[in-house]
Amino acid sequence: MSDKQAHIIYDKEGKPSKDAPWIFRTYAGHTNVRKSNELYRSNLAKGQTGLSIAFDLATQCGYSSNEDIAKPEIGKVGVPINTLDDFAILFDQIAIDVVNTSMTINGTSMWLLSLYVALAEERGIDLAKLQGTTQNDLIKEFLARGTYVFPPDQSIKLIVDMYEYCLRKIPKWNPSNVCSYHLQEAGATPVQELAYSLVTAITVLDAIRERKCFNEAEFEQCVGRVSFFVNAGMRFIEEMCKMRAFTELWDEICQQRYGVKNPKYRLFRYGVQVNSLGLTEEQPENNAWRILIEALGVTLSRDARCRALQLPAWNEALSLPRPWDQQWSLRLQQILAYETDLLEYPDLFAGSPVVQSKVEELKAQARAEIQKILDAGGGVEAIKTGYMKSQLVISQAERMAKINTGEQVVVGKNRWMDGLASPLVGGNDGGVFKVDPESANETVHALEETIRKRDAAKVKACLDKLREDAKAGHNLMEASIACAHARVSTGEWSGVLREVFGEYRPPTGVEGQTLSLENEKLQQVRAKVQQFMDQFGHRPRIVVGKPGLDGHSNGAEMISVAARHAGFDVIYFGIRLSAVDIVQSAIEENVDVIGISLLSGSHNEIIAQLMNELEQEGARDAIPVVLGGIIPQNDIPGLTALGIRAVFTPKDYDLMDIMNKIMDIVLEHKAHG
Amino acid sequence: MPTPLTPLVDQPLAPELLQQLQQASALKKWPLAKLISLFENKNPDAAQIRHDIARHIQQHPQDFPRNARVIGFTGTPGAGKSSLIAELCRKLLTLNDQIAIAVLAVDPSSQISGGSILGDRTRMHYGKKEERLFFRSQASNLELGGVSEATFQATRLLRHLFDLIIIETVGIGQNEVDIQFLTDHTFLVMQPLAGDQIQFMKSGIMEIPDSFIVNKCDEERLARTSYHMLRSSLKQARLVDLHAQDNYQNAARDQIFLTSALKGLGIDTLANAVLNIPQRRTAEHCESCYLRKGVLRRYGEFGLKILKHEMNLLDTATTFEEKEVAAFATIQRHIIPRQ
Repeated sequence: MSDKQAHIIYDKEGKPSKDAPWIFRTYAGHTNVRKSNELYRSNLAKGQTGLSIAFDLATQCGYSSNEDIAKPEIGKVGVPINTLDDFAILFDQIAIDVVNTSMTINGTSMWLLSLYVALAEERGIDLAKLQGTTQNDLIKEFLARGTYVFPPDQSIKLIVDMYEYCLRKIPKWNPSNVCSYHLQEAGATPVQELAYSLVTAITVLDAIRERKCFNEAEFEQCVGRVSFFVNAGMRFIEEMCKMRAFTELWDEICQQRYGVKNPKYRLFRYGVQVNSLGLTEEQPENNAWRILIEALGVTLSRDARCRALQLPAWNEALSLPRPWDQQWSLRLQQILAYETDLLEYPDLFAGSPVVQSKVEELKAQARAEIQKILDAGGGVEAIKTGYMKSQLVISQAERMAKINTGEQVVVGKNRWMDGLASPLVGGNDGGVFKVDPESANETVHALEETIRKRDAAKVKACLDKLREDAKAGHNLMEASIACAHARVSTGEWSGVLREVFGEYRPPTGVEGQTLSLENEKLQQVRAKVQQFMDQFGHRPRIVVGKPGLDGHSNGAEMISVAARHAGFDVIYFGIRLSAVDIVQSAIEENVDVIGISLLSGSHNEIIAQLMNELEQEGARDAIPVVLGGIIPQNDIPGLTALGIRAVFTPKDYDLMDIMNKIMDIVLEHKAHG
Repeated sequence: MPTPLTPLVDQPLAPELLQQLQQASALKKWPLAKLISLFENKNPDAAQIRHDIARHIQQHPQDFPRNARVIGFTGTPGAGKSSLIAELCRKLLTLNDQIAIAVLAVDPSSQISGGSILGDRTRMHYGKKEERLFFRSQASNLELGGVSEATFQATRLLRHLFDLIIIETVGIGQNEVDIQFLTDHTFLVMQPLAGDQIQFMKSGIMEIPDSFIVNKCDEERLARTSYHMLRSSLKQARLVDLHAQDNYQNAARDQIFLTSALKGLGIDTLANAVLNIPQRRTAEHCESCYLRKGVLRRYGEFGLKILKHEMNLLDTATTFEEKEVAAFATIQRHIIPRQ
């Protein structure tokens, strides 16, 4: 037909049509399996079309709820999963043969997928009907998020195992998902986000190709299973261009590197969680607008529109969101998709010289960065050497410096800071969600019940088989599914593989980093440092500690870099430390102050542990402790009562203000101690 | 003109320091850590306290039966020194259930701010309290030479409290020469097939090590190739007396160690070698080296010349602090015209 109009979408038969909306998801899960199941069912009833499961940190790091390290974290940032019995309750009355389930799980992806498969088998569901995604992007875990378990090579091996299994048994499952979301949170520029996530995809696909387990047609199909999960920030035009660049670069890589002929398998399929990092604690109601604008960046352009969208809640910079907050975000998606005419038009930006030029620039820079990493040995090598990590730390430092100087405007944070009090945070709950501490007992009790009832001999046999297969380098999916059926626990499965593969401690990303900050505040802090040195004969020493399982190391690293810039000797030794580790280091290093960074919401429990440990070493009042992270205002009096000398929250974004305060505390403590 | 040092007085150790020292000799970590801070302290009045402690130890040798051997690990960044030392310590602690080890890990200070990020503990992560292992991070304080004055000072104390001191240097390559003044034995840690080994030969650093470690030999093929490459480089440069025949199985005989901290390979052999290292340098030797360094820094070559002629003036000095006071005063007399 020749009379087609450029502003109309035509279907295969040539009839004017309209696009179907993307999948609406809300990243959810908390407390325990029973509460989370209720939440999922109510979200589905409200019109949500897919599930996005948040697991608690213990589950993500491969610990069972009855282990000491897991206890402060049970049900905090997601749902705790120990055995198949938990999964049965989590998906109770949810049709897993119909619903599309996305699991934000990485280090223990294989285990959670095995549980899902075992659940389907127990329910008699055809595995080919299962659809969904296990995030399973270990490279970004090493770079930014921190819930890795095994070393890089073994982590990639597990991913390849899953691709091999899924392609044959669950063809609609995305075994892994290249996730650049956390790269942006860790400071990545659009070019870095493009380059590092495409390098990640290349690393996984190269490893699959190397195993030679697929014929050519199967490998093409496998390339087609690679999906992406990206971040969308406030610079929404650039973000839209970034998505177009992603689409074009991915097509290029699929054709040139992997020779994929079928265009269907070269599609850049992606889901989005819009940026939580840019959300502010100050005037939190403004975040509602930020979320809307960020959502536009990934929906406006039809050629680069997301397949699935998750929106954060307006109050995520304060603490965990409540169900109502999540509902408000879901409504935004529904309004955008159903009230507006967004889905009625072809791509609005095709042919725009502005957009095209921007896209070309992003592509050229990303290609150069990708080549640089591949030339230096590829993605795994760039993890081991710490190259990518150090680049992210530099970008993050630059971003923070721009906010500090006001060059980057953040409304309510560094401009127009005076505002009326928000009625949204006025309720009894302070506008945030609190996990009932009693609910953890329910989880531990359920695990104990399962352990009591299960066949211990069968458990042992399954774990032995897993160990044997792991040592022999076999595909571990079948052995893991057998473990799932036998009611093996998350900690037991991970424990066996830890034993065989070892546990990984990556470079910290602070080595060699500098802060290009020169201002009056810095001079003030350095003067205090000098005063300290003149008086006490050494530089002030600080341990920056990251206890618990939360792996978001950016804050701790920024503080370390800033403290060195101020003139401190900083002891920083990575994430996932116990209270014992931190107190021991503070004592051996004879530090003047301990700085703790915590984002998982378990600050009350962990600070109590830490103070108790200091007490036992006789150092409780001798070394001042300060805390930074996502700490609700309501918790601060309790933490102060425990002995915390200062609490820094996202409101305290000026690094030298923080250093100044810390120096004051150190000097004052020395004067009176 | 440098200011003269305050004269020292002989006095008994203050009671709280005595208590700290007693606890430290029982390897109690916090008192020990505080004493190390006193030895690192740059304030002039800390010298008197150090003198008191050193005198006390000299006068009560029975209370301080330990006499540590000091070994150093040097080599370029990226060779995996920290991981290797962590594995080595783990092995030493299991091989010998009495041995007490102190690790001093030096990291570079920022040229701009003078501050530092000391990250060597990252690899020393045991997840539990280990009574017989003490780990301390130190900043290089912008000194060349790879180890700082603070390292020397801490060693003075630690050698009376531990059986083994391990020093890990900054790892900036060519300036790592100071370590030889402190240690009984120095290991140079390299990456496999580094290819720049010949470069090393040309620089001073290759002349310092007593042994060579090729770390990250994660596969045997890599280990074998590295062994042959290194051996031929060493032979060519005639730096060491090598046994006539290549023998990969017995590389340690030529003071070449092939290790993989990641896979735990070669750590046994290295640990056994470490346990058998003889003591080579006395505390006095280290002190006179650092005394000369101090003189050179304050008075230049002129000062060294005077020191050489007037060495006998130091004979009555009992501690490093007394030697410093005596040496500096003597030199000062030569440059200040007498009234």
